[in-house]
Amino acid sequence: MTTPFSATLESLIRLRGVRASLIVSERDGLVVDENLRYGQEGERVAALAASIYRKARLSAASARFGSVSFLQLDGENGRVCIAGAGNDLVIVVVADQSANVGLIRVDLLKATQAFQ
Amino acid sequence: MIIATVEPWVEPPLKQYVDDARARMALLLHPSGQVVAQAGFSRAVDVMTACALAAAVHATSRELGRQLEGDTTRRGKSFDGLHHGGEQVQLHLAPVETRGGSYICLTVFDAESSLGLVRMYFADLCAALAAAAPRFAVKRTPALAADFEHDLNRNLAGLFGRS
Repeated sequence: MTTPFSATLESLIRLRGVRASLIVSERDGLVVDENLRYGQEGERVAALAASIYRKARLSAASARFGSVSFLQLDGENGRVCIAGAGNDLVIVVVADQSANVGLIRVDLLKATQAFQ
Repeated sequence: MIIATVEPWVEPPLKQYVDDARARMALLLHPSGQVVAQAGFSRAVDVMTACALAAAVHATSRELGRQLEGDTTRRGKSFDGLHHGGEQVQLHLAPVETRGGSYICLTVFDAESSLGLVRMYFADLCAALAAAAPRFAVKRTPALAADFEHDLNRNLAGLFGRS
């Protein structure tokens, strides 16, 4: 099934080292659309990524840093990149440690601009 | 956190669930509406009424699901969970299956959590309760008028720590 988000998610998952790309509702933490490699748990990633993003956004607002454009969480076995797309949506990318974060960031921000 | 239960094996998984999901409150009850456990941070709740209403809502929505599904053999099993989104407080109502029988869990959460988080940790709660449930369930007899008051008092005493 093709959705308005399919092309964006497809372009993100094609980047080297990317395991999953998702559009998530920030308020509910539910998956709106996703493109996952085998073995990825979309619902779990969506819930946690939305929670992290919401907390970061509220913290940034409290500290008067303005809106949060890009968030990156590095773990031992991978990394999560999150960008706010407006209208209660966030774009989430799960990638390997070896993935090129610069490239992911550029594509992610480009994708958010396309949504606004 | 307030935690009260009439079945001690329920306490650790339920407490963990409320902590992880950052829920305001979780109630575990029998499908008949009998309270099994309460965990959370909210005192201003009439637990008995909430459980009775939750049991009624669960039975109604499950039956509605069964009717809509059009397959009477499945007993509405594809309509397991119910979410009610309020402006400040939201509800999640879903069944928990264990060897000892079926329960219903009512979770109340606010903007500190999200439906995604609650659903995610609810799956963990189901697994934890299924693992912790006693192998042989206590056989439940119908609530007869003669025993009802005694059972009610015992459960209330357990819940409010007077046992």
